[in-house]
Parts: sequence; structure tokens; C-alpha cells
Amino acid sequence: MGIPNSLAIIALAALIHASFQLSVSVLTLLSSHTLSTKQTQAKLLRLTTGFLVGAGIMTVLLLSFTSLVLLHVFGTETPQFIWAAGCGLLVGVAVSIWLFYFRREKGTMLWIPRSIATYLTERIQSTKLSAEAFGLGLSSIIGEILFIIAPLVMAALVLIHLPPMWQLAGIGIYTVISLLSLIIVWVLIGSGHSISQIQKWRESNKHFLQFAAGAGLIVLVFFVYVNEILGNTVGGI
Amino acid sequence: MDLAVDIVKSGNRNQTEQFVRNKLHNSIVAACLSVRMPEGQAETTAHAVCDGVIVWLQQRPEVTSQDIRTVATRHLKSYHPEAAYLYEQQHMII
Repeated sequence: MGIPNSLAIIALAALIHASFQLSVSVLTLLSSHTLSTKQTQAKLLRLTTGFLVGAGIMTVLLLSFTSLVLLHVFGTETPQFIWAAGCGLLVGVAVSIWLFYFRREKGTMLWIPRSIATYLTERIQSTKLSAEAFGLGLSSIIGEILFIIAPLVMAALVLIHLPPMWQLAGIGIYTVISLLSLIIVWVLIGSGHSISQIQKWRESNKHFLQFAAGAGLIVLVFFVYVNEILGNTVGGI
Repeated sequence: MDLAVDIVKSGNRNQTEQFVRNKLHNSIVAACLSVRMPEGQAETTAHAVCDGVIVWLQQRPEVTSQDIRTVATRHLKSYHPEAAYLYEQQHMII
């Protein structure tokens, strides 16, 4: 697979990651809570920035760690059955997202363990320092690992085939694109937009977001399958 | 003014607690401040909403916390629809 194709797969995987909503929910709730406790706009901006940086750092760490593990296990030549298993994982996660991602009730409640949701809500309510917001950003990415694991593994499988400098570029591209939805919400909140408007948009478009995330994964499977499995099989023959 | 009304907590139907006006007042003020409403207006709105909820409670000896949320949302909607929306959504975001 060439460098442009590899970067395209990484970018698509990151875009799918960006469509997952737990971090956005946490950022929305953190902003709402901060405003309700009569904090200044500057304080709100510090906390949301801390959160954003935390989410970014955890994404870099997770992607690097996954790539390192895959590199140690398979080297730079990933066996085809691993690509096939990766595709299977993606299809499974895509179907799960279509069926379960948002709960079938009002609001934007997600199908994550309720203990994680309660933990995050309690952490939001006790977040007063930027360092705590940073920690919350780290935890929110861990909280959605059940869903982000699929695009993350696929991006890592592609990353380990790239030359070292392009690996760094790939990690950077993945991180920036995967944070896009958070960056948009951060900019909106920072520029004084109403949190209820943001939440209203999220609630009314939740089925579209759910469909888009699942469909994105299926497109990614198709792309990887054609490039890595069919391409090599036909090329091998 | 607190009323002798039992509030059944959501998720635990065996657990009840007394209605406390201040608790409701604070949660409505928080929702109003979240939509960047000025503090004085938030306090006035919360007073008015609490009064409306108390009138509704006077004929009922036992209600659920969800009932109170629904009635408070209905009253808050007439003062500030955005704050009412956020108040209703608080427990449904994550």
C-alpha cells in the first residue's frame, strides 16, 4: 500500500473516531456545569482547553501503544489473516453501532456501562482545576474504548507499514482529525454559543451520527479489504 | 417553605426523601446559569418555578423525582425555553 493510500485510511479511521460522542457529551456537560457554578468565561476556556489536551494526549498514547504492540507481535509484515480479522472487527463494531450506540430514549445517552457514565458525571461535578479537566479528557477517551478500538486498530495496522517519519505524520493526522468534533464544540463554547443549542443539535442529529459512524466503518472495511486482501491475493496469483 | 411530601427517587423505588425547596431552587438556578442567564434573573425565575411546583405538590402526598422534574420543566419553559431544555436534558447527556 502506498503512502497516500495509507494516509487516506488513517484519515478515514480518524474521521470515524471523531464521530463518536462520549467525549463531546463530557465536554458539553463540563461546560454546562462550569457555567452553572458562576465561573468566568476565562475559567471555562481553561477547563475546556485542559480537557481537549487530555483527550488529544490519550489518543496519541493509545494509537502509539497499539502500533507498538502490533509491531512487536507481527513486525512490519502483517499476516493477511490479521487484516481479515481487523475487517471482521470493524464490521462487528459497525453493526453494534447501528443497533446500540444511542439509547432508545430522549437525550443523547450512550450504550456505555452506566458505572462509567456515573463516574464521568461525578468527575465533571468535582472538576475545578485545569489538571482535573485534563484527567477527565484522558478518562473520556478510555470510556469510549469499546467503540474507538476498531478504527484505532486499523490505523495502527496501517501505521506500522509506513517509514518512521510518515508514522509520526500519521499519528499527528489521526489525532488532529479525531479531535475535530471536540475542537468544533470547544470553539463554539469559547465563542459564547449556548450549550442548549449545541445539545439540541446533537439530540436532533443523533440518528444521523449513529448511521454515519457505522457506515464509515463499512466504507473503511471495503477500502482495506480491497487494498490489503483482494489486492494481495489477485497480485499474488 | 418545605412541604410534607415524599419524593420517590428514580432508580430506587424504596428510597424516599422529603421535598426541599432549596434543592429544587438550586438546580433551576444552575440550569439558568448554564444558558448564560444573568444571576438575578436566574434567581427570580427559580423562585417563580418553585412556587409553581409547590402549588402542584400541595394536592399530592407522594411523587417521584421525575414528576418534579417534568413539572419544573413545564413551568421553566414559559420563562426560558432554552434553560428548560437544558434542565430536562441534564441527566440524559452521557
